[in-house]
Amino acid sequence: MALALENVSKHFGSLVAIKNLSLSFDVGSIYSIIGPNGAGKSTVVNMVAGSYSVTSGTIKLGSSVLSTLPKHRIAQLGISRTYQNLRLFDGMTVLENLEVCFFPQSWLTFLTGAKRLSKAERLEICHACLAQFHLSDVADVLAGDLPYGRQKILELARAFVTEAPIVLLDEPAAGLNHTETKDMAAMIASLKRADRAIILVEHDMDLVMSISDRIDVLNYGELLCSGTPDLVRANEKVQEAYLGTTEELDDIRKLAQSRRAQGGLRANAGIVRH
Amino acid sequence: MGNSVIVRRLGLLAVLALCVLLLSLVPFMPSYYVRVVDSILIYIILAVGLNLVVGYAGLLDLGFIAFYAVGAYAYALLASGQFDIHLPFIVVLFIGAAAGAIAGVLLGFPVLKLRGDYLAIVTLSFGEIIRIAINNADDITNGPQGIAGLDRANLFGLPLTSPVHFYWLLLVLTVLVCAGVYYMERSILGKAWRALREDQDVVRGLGINTTTLKLLAFALSAAIGGAGGVIFGSFQRFVSPESFTFQESLLVVLIIIIGGVGNIVGVIAGAVVLVVLPEVLHFAAQYRLLIYGVVLVTVIVLRPGGLVSPRFNLGFIIRKVRTLWLSPSKT
Repeated sequence: MALALENVSKHFGSLVAIKNLSLSFDVGSIYSIIGPNGAGKSTVVNMVAGSYSVTSGTIKLGSSVLSTLPKHRIAQLGISRTYQNLRLFDGMTVLENLEVCFFPQSWLTFLTGAKRLSKAERLEICHACLAQFHLSDVADVLAGDLPYGRQKILELARAFVTEAPIVLLDEPAAGLNHTETKDMAAMIASLKRADRAIILVEHDMDLVMSISDRIDVLNYGELLCSGTPDLVRANEKVQEAYLGTTEELDDIRKLAQSRRAQGGLRANAGIVRH
Repeated sequence: MGNSVIVRRLGLLAVLALCVLLLSLVPFMPSYYVRVVDSILIYIILAVGLNLVVGYAGLLDLGFIAFYAVGAYAYALLASGQFDIHLPFIVVLFIGAAAGAIAGVLLGFPVLKLRGDYLAIVTLSFGEIIRIAINNADDITNGPQGIAGLDRANLFGLPLTSPVHFYWLLLVLTVLVCAGVYYMERSILGKAWRALREDQDVVRGLGINTTTLKLLAFALSAAIGGAGGVIFGSFQRFVSPESFTFQESLLVVLIIIIGGVGNIVGVIAGAVVLVVLPEVLHFAAQYRLLIYGVVLVTVIVLRPGGLVSPRFNLGFIIRKVRTLWLSPSKT
């Protein structure tokens, strides 16, 4: 199964957030979408998940077209996601946060003959998932009472519990400290499976470079470059978009120096700290 | 097994025995008191029903009494001389519940996209529309004069005439409704409703059709309101639009807020307080609304979560009883 964006564009009024983007994500790999702020990374996630409509182009999962479906139908077809800002059900327990993902998709299962999980089966899956994400000890704690790092992990668990073939992670490391980010990277890497595509939007370059099989770089809504981490790291256009050109960098250094010279005491304080 | 366990078990038995005793003493009280208890039970049924929408799904519905009216008028039209239709009580009970559910879905559709204040305003209007429609449909409902002389109800040959008969019927129905709602609360449906209350967008992102979820809450809650209305009609044997004013909707919402939102035990407490209060303060009848206001403000200031703590719910009581009985060492 593959997720494919074909010539997708997204306009917000006169602002073109995504311009004729074509990308394909096959199961079995971890993908990262990176780019400077405002490049359109989250817009891509929101379009795939159905939170935003596309202005033109199509998004397909296998042979089914997603871009015309309502949000809950897209999720039912096998796309799950996390959010840039934590969005857990704070007033429900950790276990309930996972359980609710197994709400029957149709009340007509007795007609269609589709299999419906019993309560015991549902709980077994949820408990196994909690164990996998090291959350078993807090199963009955309210999600809102967990420390931030564990809330991030719970949101990750919620995205994976239904075994969706496409998982979109919107900044999984945002707000985490260095150790937590490393743990998060190891956790995501361990979730890579032959029947699953994991798509990350992330700013933390260490995390992105260490676990991605392919990195897609967006800039002003267009695909700048796409390839393995090494390839992307070596790409000049990417360096320009991200770090600026060497001339620009020199300009910045000069500016900083002159500011320090003018700043007197404050500049000295800065130098002493170095 | 220690002594303390035996003492606690005896204490539990004593509490249970006291409840049963109090409930079985009601029929021996003077008729006036039985009527008050009946009234409490009706409001418990209504408030537990409305709580599905307000407490669990988090959708503020200020027009709930419309469904009560639909049920009451279902009995008035289908079991009276009005059109000379005389269906049995039990049949009308189901028709009333179904009519309530249909009205609930009809209200639910247009308000699907509304939340908070906007939802409250539209549901309030809906309640008023139903009442005014009944008031103006002279040919069917006799308008403001109401319909009198409704059939004496009977349940499988047992007559339902005195307040005591209705007491038993209402008691059974209250227990059934509370048990049913408690079951729903604990099922995956209840969890989905609570999730809906917290973040509707995320719920959709989990593959849950929020439209179905909301309509289901409206329909089930309205069905309970409709069934309550049928009982009300058969009890009063007279219905008129003025029984279904906005104040009645407000009273049911107040019961939930004062008792404890989303908590069946709280709702029961709220119904007892708000039904008994005006009876006790009969001499100050013209200050009823003022007193409600004072009670509401006091509760909101002193106990913002309602009289009954959210932790003290039906599940908590059942767990407590079960552990004390099955594995007392854990307590």
